Amino acid sequence: MMMHNNGNNGYGNGVMTSASPTTTSLSSSSASANGQSTQQQQGLKTYFKTPEGRYKLHFEKTHPPGILPYSHGKSVSQITLAHLKEKPTQAGSASSSGASTSGGVRNAAARLLGVGGGNGSRALSFVGGNGASKAANGTSRSSSLAGSNGSHSMLNSNYDGKGTYLMFNVGDSLFVSDLNTHDKDPIKSLHFSTSNPICHSFDPEAKDGHDLLIGLNSGDVYSVSLRQQLQDVGKKLVGAQHYNKEGSVTNSRCTSVAWVPKADGTFVVAHADGNLYVYEKSKDGTGDTTFPVVKDQNQFSVAHARSSKSNPIARWHICQSSINGIAFSSDGAYLATVGRDGYLRVFDYQKEQLICGGKSYYGALLCCAWSMDGKYILTGGEDDLVTVWSMEDRKVVAWGEGHNSWVSGVAFDSYWSSPTSDGTEESVMYRFGSVGQDTQLLLWDLSMDEIVVPLRRCPPGGSPTFSTGSQSSHWDSICPVGTLQPAPSMRDVPKLSPLVAHRVHSEPLSGLIFTEESILTACREGYVKIWVRPSNSESQSSNPEIPVGNSSKELPPLPGKTGASSYKSVHLLIYSSNTFS
Amino acid sequence: MGAAGSKLEKALGDQFPEGERYFGLENFGNTCYCNSVLQALYFCVPFREQLLDYYANNKSIGDVEENLLTCLADLFSQISSQKKKTGVIAPKRFVQRLKKQNELFRSYMHQDAHEFLNFLLNELVDILEKEAQAVKSDPETSSPSDKTANGPKNAQANGALKEPLVTWVHKNFQGILTNETRCLRCETVTARDETFLDLSLDIEQNSSITSCLKNFSSTETLNAEDKFFCDKCCSLQEAQKRMKIKKPPHILVIHLKRFKYIEQLGRYKKLSYRVVFPLELKLSNTVEDADSEYSLFAVVVHVGSGPNHGHYVSLVKSHNHWLFFDDENVEMIDESAVQTFFGSAQEYSSNTDHGYILFYECLGSTSNKS
Ligand SMILES: [Zn+2]
Repeated sequence: MMMHNNGNNGYGNGVMTSASPTTTSLSSSSASANGQSTQQQQGLKTYFKTPEGRYKLHFEKTHPPGILPYSHGKSVSQITLAHLKEKPTQAGSASSSGASTSGGVRNAAARLLGVGGGNGSRALSFVGGNGASKAANGTSRSSSLAGSNGSHSMLNSNYDGKGTYLMFNVGDSLFVSDLNTHDKDPIKSLHFSTSNPICHSFDPEAKDGHDLLIGLNSGDVYSVSLRQQLQDVGKKLVGAQHYNKEGSVTNSRCTSVAWVPKADGTFVVAHADGNLYVYEKSKDGTGDTTFPVVKDQNQFSVAHARSSKSNPIARWHICQSSINGIAFSSDGAYLATVGRDGYLRVFDYQKEQLICGGKSYYGALLCCAWSMDGKYILTGGEDDLVTVWSMEDRKVVAWGEGHNSWVSGVAFDSYWSSPTSDGTEESVMYRFGSVGQDTQLLLWDLSMDEIVVPLRRCPPGGSPTFSTGSQSSHWDSICPVGTLQPAPSMRDVPKLSPLVAHRVHSEPLSGLIFTEESILTACREGYVKIWVRPSNSESQSSNPEIPVGNSSKELPPLPGKTGASSYKSVHLLIYSSNTFS
Repeated sequence: MGAAGSKLEKALGDQFPEGERYFGLENFGNTCYCNSVLQALYFCVPFREQLLDYYANNKSIGDVEENLLTCLADLFSQISSQKKKTGVIAPKRFVQRLKKQNELFRSYMHQDAHEFLNFLLNELVDILEKEAQAVKSDPETSSPSDKTANGPKNAQANGALKEPLVTWVHKNFQGILTNETRCLRCETVTARDETFLDLSLDIEQNSSITSCLKNFSSTETLNAEDKFFCDKCCSLQEAQKRMKIKKPPHILVIHLKRFKYIEQLGRYKKLSYRVVFPLELKLSNTVEDADSEYSLFAVVVHVGSGPNHGHYVSLVKSHNHWLFFDDENVEMIDESAVQTFFGSAQEYSSNTDHGYILFYECLGSTSNKS
């Protein structure tokens, strides 16, 4: 494994998927704010303590060994969760295909899925969460799949019946793992021969068709149906729609992709050149995809496509340098971006206007996330700080100090509710987490009552001043620029200390997701750990309310306690290749 | 070599900065430690300009005895006055002088770039101080270097006895550290100031420069064998000690202690730790909340897995472009390539190119908008 065995203290263990008795008996010293070097030399623990109980390492997800990111620094592994509800299979229903080479496989798969009814030639092997059954095709290959829904009797291998999938990119591949199984290995790998996948996003609200976006280092973007990929045997995307093909729009690297919430099928792609493009998945994109030259590189501007047939439909010029992260508020009203220039920018998405924003203490910002209620935005970056931005105050209200390196992932825990909260508005508390290149996961509690803001609050009317830009032409309207706050002074911002600091991986971290049951942490090299929340018996508050919506772009709202029977799950059919020979 | 030059010119195209020269430096057998540092210093614009001023003024007063300062000035002026925009120059006189001056650098062994930088800056300071003294003893001669570099004469006269001369080298690189020791018995704080031309930082795996600077200034308790003699208590007492930056330098040079002496091995070992350095930095370990922002403009990179062999290259930011200098070769690189020199998160890694000396320039107290 990747862990260093440290023989002289007994901490070193291979980090199995459950806490070993020897490590659980050791008291955790990880709650200190600064993981000291001595501590970092020790092995990785398989649990960490919080006031509400222990989080235990439950599962790990990795990729097959030997796949190394070919270019250091270019491919940082990002994670996306996808929840697939049960529905009739829709193989072959995708509108167009950008991956024509795999067409043969796709057609074969569609045929085998019983679209054409029963012909006797099906020879399938079911692979649920457990890749081991790939080898067991001798026993299961003859199961019949008459009718589009087929029989569910063979699908129990999909561990607990929930169709929740974890996607992560490593090198030139995008892997899909079944979140709720012990199996470390992915159930599916998608190979990109031309360029590395960098970012991805899943639309939990997609009614049908494409729900997964993948952005590449080359600037290419694909939308696909995740279900269709899982049903296919190949390593290539099937039924994909290809956007920015051959750099027709831009050659700049994709840095972040996101579906616009509540706007069925609209998505945005952020690039390293400071531009963000708005696409509609239903559109072919055969029209003119060129946009006018950005007139003032320093000004935010939005240009709309010349033709209604064009895809992308708009270009937002946000800044001169890379956009490193984007996040929509859960209602889709606001879009936050962070970038190399150190600025957080918040836009009114519908009005295409810059509302507010501010600069990091110093250095680039790398990640951002909204609170469920849209009141706060977290950012993390190269100043090692976790910054809490208040939408009400339009300024930084707290700095979280505790990381020993850059902060690469932030998220609010929308499933957490304060053990002391009695529902009154007075004691609103937020739990959030951050991960850093120091390999640590930090958890924080934010209670606005406790934060003494040294500066007077901005008056409610302290709205940004707008410069009146003239409309140069009908398709290129220069939007007025809102006021961006300069970096605050160290003494002016209240500081937060982390509740928990835990070294979770041996490599720098890249991502963090909260789910109802667990916390997911990912490192740059594509190892994902799933830390299960304290069990109900350990927990003080066992009945957290399930909020609706997302706390981050990567977190689909998992439905509440639905009966397991309703999760008969997606058909996970991976055909052994000899089926087609 | 000529082809490489034109390639760089092509890459820069009409963005080639007016009046700027990008020249590789020839290697005279393991002199990459020298070349990498010279490039970083050349692209330290305030230093270069003051050195060229000094050179221009010194030429006018005729022959000066050759020393490292004149050799360096000569080299910089040679580069900056080239007709071609790119190419290769042989820093022959400078290297010869260096080897003459210090036997440490005479051998063809692999040398430490930080040791060289430290030696060079101190040598330049010595030469300037000697010149200033010579001028003082002979008031008839008005030295132009005095005017340009040492500021008003009365300021010098005021502190002549106590304060050492502040040369233009000091003005660029010198900062002041204050060593605060608080006696735990009487609570008296004793502060002792010391100057520095660069900061040598201990490093940790998967940390940042910000974190290393914090550790540098973290409070240390002096006890047991290591008690502090308190003047007020007139005895050895337990005390708390911390280092803070009293006066941040204009050019902040940070040396990462990647070469660590391992007692068990009886030799130095290279630490390949991943230490991230931001392109912008603020110092939090200052006596007063400075909040002044620094911008990274050069990185001397050590290439190789051990301390006794390997290679040095440098990354330099000039007019918002990043350039990669590897002895004779100069290439343009993307800003995002800087992160490939942070180090390795795992001990054994194929990546052996590690940032070793970082050069930051203070942007002034006002935060700049991009
Ligand atoms: Zn005392």
